[in-house]
Amino acid sequence: MNLPTNPFVSNDGKKPTCMEMLQLILDGQDSQEQREYFKNHMDNCMPCFKGYHVDMTIKELLKSKCCGGEAPDELVAKIKSQIASTIS
Amino acid sequence: MEEVVRQHYTDKEKREIFDHEFLPHINSMYNFGYRLTLDRDDAKDLVQDTYFKAFRFIESFQKGTNAKAWLFRILKNSFINDYRKKVKEPNKVDYQEVEQYYNSEDVDRQITPDLRVDALKDMIGDEISNALNALDVDFRTVIILCDLEGFKYEEMAKILDIPIGTVRSRLHRARQLLKEKLSEYAKSMGYKNS
Repeated sequence: MNLPTNPFVSNDGKKPTCMEMLQLILDGQDSQEQREYFKNHMDNCMPCFKGYHVDMTIKELLKSKCCGGEAPDELVAKIKSQIASTIS
Repeated sequence: MEEVVRQHYTDKEKREIFDHEFLPHINSMYNFGYRLTLDRDDAKDLVQDTYFKAFRFIESFQKGTNAKAWLFRILKNSFINDYRKKVKEPNKVDYQEVEQYYNSEDVDRQITPDLRVDALKDMIGDEISNALNALDVDFRTVIILCDLEGFKYEEMAKILDIPIGTVRSRLHRARQLLKEKLSEYAKSMGYKNS
């Protein structure tokens, strides 16, 4: 039986680990082909299935809890005036 | 390293680049500075210094290219060269050791903390932020760049001056460590087996 070619296999023929595939998917650095392959793979691989959902949740949490917040106005003002005096 | 091609800008052009390409990233820059130093005042100094340097060296920036990555790189370098020297030298992690370990066969046998999505969803306070801040600064940095700021591996490699393979392995290790912290929180919140 011919298994579908794994689009994650690198040029030197090295087979990726689950973790390596998951990382590319998670960070959106995969190709369309790789994404489809991984979706099928996840159906048969419990660690990948669990890992995907946990890692994705952490990534979303990081984005929503650790980002945002604005730079203080005085800092912005200070930078602007410093540059203005440099150019003048 | 890429060759830096010096640009020639008039004062007006410099001003435009500064206002339209550099300043819009100030909030991300401040957050980066804060997450690195864990101190609001130090973050302000670091960001101010970064913008000042960015302006001084504006002619090595090519208009219309990735200003955010360029600024992040300056901030990261200022942090390492100026800030870290001023403050006490933190305990350094031996990366060679970490990365050799990662590249060894043992890594797949390593046990990943068994965290559950529902436990994570209950972390509505500062747990995630505290867990991130508790990581060693080099691990913290890759998470900030990738997960908070959405930089691609290639951009991260340039910002940090390390190969892409190292970016990926460091990111993997950073996430493992973050999960270990989070799973401690989950346990303290009463989640069993998590």
